[in-house]
Amino acid sequence: MIAAHPFNDLAGWIEQMAVLPILYRFGLMQWSELSFGWTLVALYGLFQMLLCYAICIPLERRFPIESWESRKPILTDVLYTAIARIGILPITTFVVFYTLQTWLDGFLADHGYAPPMLETIFPPLFGHPVVTFFIYALVLDFADYWRHRLSHRFGIWYALHAVHHSQRQMTVWSDDRNHVLDDVAGFLWFMFVGLLIGIPPMQFPILVLALRFVESFSHANIKMGFGRLGERLLVSPRFHRAHHALFAAGSKSVNYGAVFPVWDILFHTADFSSDFPATGDIRAPEAMTSGGYLVQQWSGLLHVLNALRS
Amino acid sequence: MKLEISRRALLAAAAFAAPGLAAASRRPPIAIVMDSGGATVSIIDMTTRKVVRKEPTLREPSHWALAPDRQRLLISDAAGNAIFFFDPATGKEMSHVLIPDPYQLWFSPDGRYLGVNALRLNHVDLYHADRLALAKRFRTGSMPSHLSYSPDSRWMFNSLQGANALASFDLLGLRARWSVPVGSAPAGVMWHDGLVLVAVMGSNHVAVVDPRDGRVRRRVVTDRGPHNLFLAPDRAHIVVTNRVAGSLSVLDAKTLAVVAHVAMPGGPDDLCFAPDGKLWIALRFASEVAVFEPRTGSIDRIPVGRSPHGIFVSTLLTDAPALAAMRLA
Repeated sequence: MIAAHPFNDLAGWIEQMAVLPILYRFGLMQWSELSFGWTLVALYGLFQMLLCYAICIPLERRFPIESWESRKPILTDVLYTAIARIGILPITTFVVFYTLQTWLDGFLADHGYAPPMLETIFPPLFGHPVVTFFIYALVLDFADYWRHRLSHRFGIWYALHAVHHSQRQMTVWSDDRNHVLDDVAGFLWFMFVGLLIGIPPMQFPILVLALRFVESFSHANIKMGFGRLGERLLVSPRFHRAHHALFAAGSKSVNYGAVFPVWDILFHTADFSSDFPATGDIRAPEAMTSGGYLVQQWSGLLHVLNALRS
Repeated sequence: MKLEISRRALLAAAAFAAPGLAAASRRPPIAIVMDSGGATVSIIDMTTRKVVRKEPTLREPSHWALAPDRQRLLISDAAGNAIFFFDPATGKEMSHVLIPDPYQLWFSPDGRYLGVNALRLNHVDLYHADRLALAKRFRTGSMPSHLSYSPDSRWMFNSLQGANALASFDLLGLRARWSVPVGSAPAGVMWHDGLVLVAVMGSNHVAVVDPRDGRVRRRVVTDRGPHNLFLAPDRAHIVVTNRVAGSLSVLDAKTLAVVAHVAMPGGPDDLCFAPDGKLWIALRFASEVAVFEPRTGSIDRIPVGRSPHGIFVSTLLTDAPALAAMRLA
């Protein structure tokens, strides 16, 4: 028999068998209220990575846009993914976001205000968690569209973002290939918006994981579009590849939307005409393109310094 | 272990004594379960033992307090910054009000105040119970978790999970009395026989505290991670839920000696006593409610929402001994 709530059951089992005994052993039981949520999110993160692997890798093999003799540069992107999803996401969520939200809620409570929340701003949303979740996703994606667009607009910022664009072998793992400062800026922006609309701490990482799954898929080396209508509803590998095209690197890029193309349509940055162009940034130093993780990070910093000088 | 008690006459008396409660006694009994991880409240038909529906909340319902007139069940939603009012007989949501970070909450025995622990925001709010207006905000140490009162409503006792302490407040002068270390990550608090019992979750014992000065007089070893304590309706036993061990410890209420251990895997948290002697227990990490028959040791499990935390059974509305034991504690 398949369990009704496999994630709950597995997270509960891990919680009881491993997490609680560890917290108990190290005198950290005050965190036991929150730890079940952490366990669940970690499990979702792991599942998301497995899902990416299970869905995207066979599709990349079956319908590749490009084939390469050496896939070595991709290994670095796998490392990026692990660092971002197992390291940066939990730390920013459970340490920074939780602390900031607690401080903000306390500050507002002391001044006689209730912290903002989507359902209290729009009461008809109460009792419709799926709709609320979707609206949160839309708001975050809208915020991300502008963050992304501005990161191309300003030369210094793009110098960091170039780490992401320098990859010539774009695959499912390329989504998290970012300079760590660019990643942190992105998460801080997400958190600011999250706090503004009252996303609860537990929903925040799940939202990020859901959005990131679509983003991972859109970076995959899969010759796939979603059709005339589908392309306009959800970002496809075809749509996002245009954003990574050699001609689109830098300030004159297109298709900035990460999940929903609607923002590009509304703000006239959509390009549905490109057909799987070559990707990369010819202005990016070779070290940034094919170096290891640390080399790419260092190269990103140097690139920023050069941009500052010019 | 025997937790059976016959109280048919008391049930009838209580039903007639409280206006509107006679009707409640004729309704099918329900259990109202706060699914902390699911942002819902599961309503279980206690006869069929099935979830009949789920009521939405904002974010993270956790604990309950029955209004002194027994007409409203207050359910706290800390992450949603709200208190929900439910009909305790039907499990229907009536309304909700915005209140910062209400975690555990309980009315003072005289019905004058509603004490609310804000675990995340590190304060304890005392509200005028009749109109939910803030009477006093006490700044406490880290993570105020559970609370209890002295029967004369003079003192309030709050465990501070992050500060490893128990704090006490004078409700007459609305001022802090003392805050003393009691052990690692204290959670459940219960007034009992002139003493305050504290479940020390980061350890394996219940601290027995003198309410006058906060001195720990003795420690009763139960099992790993004692989380909360409940006085049985017969007042002869106290049941302790042990979160890490996944067990219940039964204490003799007079001597506080452990008289029984029951394996209860799944993270036992809150529990309620039904009139037939069974214990209805929320299992946080199993997403289930366990119905435990103490005479036979049998356990039935009912799947509910994610991370069930607090549990209320509507039989308490007319079950005078069980309600009195709950309120006394």
